[in-house]
Amino acid sequence: MRIFKRRPRIPKELLNRTPPTEELIRGIALETSFDGRTVLKGVDLSVLQGEVFVILGPSGCGKTTLLRHLSGMLPPTMGIVQLFGRDLYTLKGKELAEMRGRMGFSFQGGALLNSMSVLENVSLPLHESSRLAPARIERIAKLKLDMVGLLHAAQLSPSSLSGGMKKRAAIARAMALDPELIFFDEPSAGLDPITAVEVDNLILKLNKVFGITMVVVTHDIPSAFMIADRMIMLSEGRILARGTPDEIRENKDSKVQDFIHRALPAEEQRSGGLARFLKT
Amino acid sequence: MLDLSAVEAFDSAGMAFLIEALQEAKAQEIDLRLVGVRPSVSDFFSLVGIERLLVPDKTAPKRNFVERLGDKAIPVIERVGAGKDLLLEAAQTLVDSSTGGRRSGKGRFFLELEHTGIGAIGIVGLIGFLLGLILAMQAWVQLKVFGADKYVADMVAVSITREIGPLMTAILVAARSGSSIAAQLGTMVINEEVDALRQMGINPVRYLVVPKVGALALATPCLAILFSTIAIFGGLLFGVFVVDLGWQVYIEATSDALQAGDILGSLLKSTVFGSLVAFVACSLGLNVKGGPVGVGKATTGAVVASIFLIIVFDAVFVLLLRVGA
Repeated sequence: MRIFKRRPRIPKELLNRTPPTEELIRGIALETSFDGRTVLKGVDLSVLQGEVFVILGPSGCGKTTLLRHLSGMLPPTMGIVQLFGRDLYTLKGKELAEMRGRMGFSFQGGALLNSMSVLENVSLPLHESSRLAPARIERIAKLKLDMVGLLHAAQLSPSSLSGGMKKRAAIARAMALDPELIFFDEPSAGLDPITAVEVDNLILKLNKVFGITMVVVTHDIPSAFMIADRMIMLSEGRILARGTPDEIRENKDSKVQDFIHRALPAEEQRSGGLARFLKT
Repeated sequence: MLDLSAVEAFDSAGMAFLIEALQEAKAQEIDLRLVGVRPSVSDFFSLVGIERLLVPDKTAPKRNFVERLGDKAIPVIERVGAGKDLLLEAAQTLVDSSTGGRRSGKGRFFLELEHTGIGAIGIVGLIGFLLGLILAMQAWVQLKVFGADKYVADMVAVSITREIGPLMTAILVAARSGSSIAAQLGTMVINEEVDALRQMGINPVRYLVVPKVGALALATPCLAILFSTIAIFGGLLFGVFVVDLGWQVYIEATSDALQAGDILGSLLKSTVFGSLVAFVACSLGLNVKGGPVGVGKATTGAVVASIFLIIVFDAVFVLLLRVGA
C-alpha cells in the first residue's frame, strides 16, 4: 500500500521483525533549566526500535519535559537528541517536516482541535502532508478511528467526548500518518482504572501489530509495569533506575522501592510540627 | 506555660492565634510550652509544620527606580520582540511553501472572512448610521450660525471618509475580532493544540495566523467602506428631512467634496489597521502563558494594544498623507 509520496509504508525490516536492537532515539547528557530552576540534570537514554519504553516518575520530576525534548518540541538547554540517527535539533525545513511525519504524539489532554469534528481532527495531518484524494483521506481516518474503537464518534465534536474517548481519538490522530514512533504523555492520567487499562491495551496492541515504537511517560505504576519492555525511573531530574520491569522490581534502591510500593519516603513523613512545643 | 487541657478542638483562627503567640514568645526569647494537649488537638498539631510558619516573612529587597522601570519595561519589550518574530515568520511562510500546511488554507481564510467580515456587518452598519446622523446634527448646529447649512454634506462626507470611518471600523474590529482571535489562540496554546499542530508538521503560523491576518486585511477595508457609506446615508437623511437640503443637492455636494484620494487613503488605512489588529491579537494569543488568567490578559492586551497602535498609525498616516503632502 504505497500511498505516501516520500517514503514507502511498512518498511521491510518490520515485516520480518528481528528482536529490537536498532537504536531509534538516543538522548545524550540532557540538561534543562527554566528560569534558573534545573529540571533535568544529565539524562542519558536510548530507545530501541519496536519496544515500549516507559519513563516513570513522580509528578514534577521532569518527565514531560524529557518527552518534549525527545519529540522535538523543546530543545534542551544542553545535550543532544538523536532520532533515527539524526541530530534532531539541527534539522530544518523539509528534513524536520519529514522527521515529524515519522512520529506521532498523544498529548495528555488529547489536544484535539476544538473547532473540528473527531474525524476532521484525524484527517488533518493527512490533508496537510499528503496529496491523497479527500475521499481516500476520509477512509484512512475512519480506519484509524475504527482501530481505536471510535468509529461511532467520528462526527462528534471533541468537547463532547469523555476523557478516555479523547485519549483514543488523540491516539488515532497520532497514528494518522502511519508513524514509526509514537510519544504518549500520561496516557492514563485522569482516567478511571478500567478505561486506563483499555488505553494501555490499545498501546500494546498497536505496538505488537504495527511494530510502532512507543515512548510513554507516566506516573501510573501498574500501567507502567504492564506495558513496558524497558523503563527508566526519573526522580528530581536524574535517572534513578533503568531496565526491564523485572529489573526495576528487583532494584534495591530505597527510593525506587518507595515509589513502586507507593510509600512516603521516610524523611518526608512529617515529624509532628507543633509537637515540638509540647511539654514532655 | 500554656495549659490547653480544657481545649477540645482548634479552628484555623485559634491555630493562627497560637502561632502568633509562639512567634511573639520566640521574639522575646521566652520558652513557651504547651501542656495538657488532648489527643484530638495534638493530631491537628502534627499536621502543621510550625517550623515553617514560625520563620518571619522575608520581605523582598526593595528595588530602586531603575530596576522597577526595567521590571515593567522588559515584558513590553519581550512582547514587541515576539510580535516582530511572528511577523518575520508569517512573511517567511508565505514565501517558503515547504513549511507544511498544503491544503485547506483557502477554506480557513473564507471561514475567518465570514467570522470577521460578514459577522460584523450588522454592528458596523448600525454604528455607522448613528454616527453619520450624530455628525450631521453636530455639524448643522455649528454651520447654521454662519448660514452655511448646505456644507453639512461636505462636513459629513469628508470627516467620515477620511477619518471616522476607518478609525471606528478598526476599533470595532479590534474589539470584536481582535479579542476573539487572542482568546481563541490563547486557549489553543493552553490545551496544547498549538503544540499538536507543530507535532503534526503543521506550521501554526501558516495554519492559524496567516488566514486570520489575510481575512482581517480584506474585511476591514470592506467594512470601512460600508461604514462610511451608511454614515453618509445617515447624514443624508438628516440633511434631507431636517435641514431640508433636498436629495439631489446633498448627493451632489457629497460627491463634489470627496476625492478619489480620500477613498483610496481610507482603504489603505483600513487594510493596515486590520492586519495590525490580527497581528497583535495572534502574537499575544500565541504567547499566552499561565492558564486561563493568561488568556484573559492576552485578550485585554490585544484590544488595548491594537487600539493604541491604530491611533499611532493613524497619526502617522495623517502626517504623511495630509500634512506632509
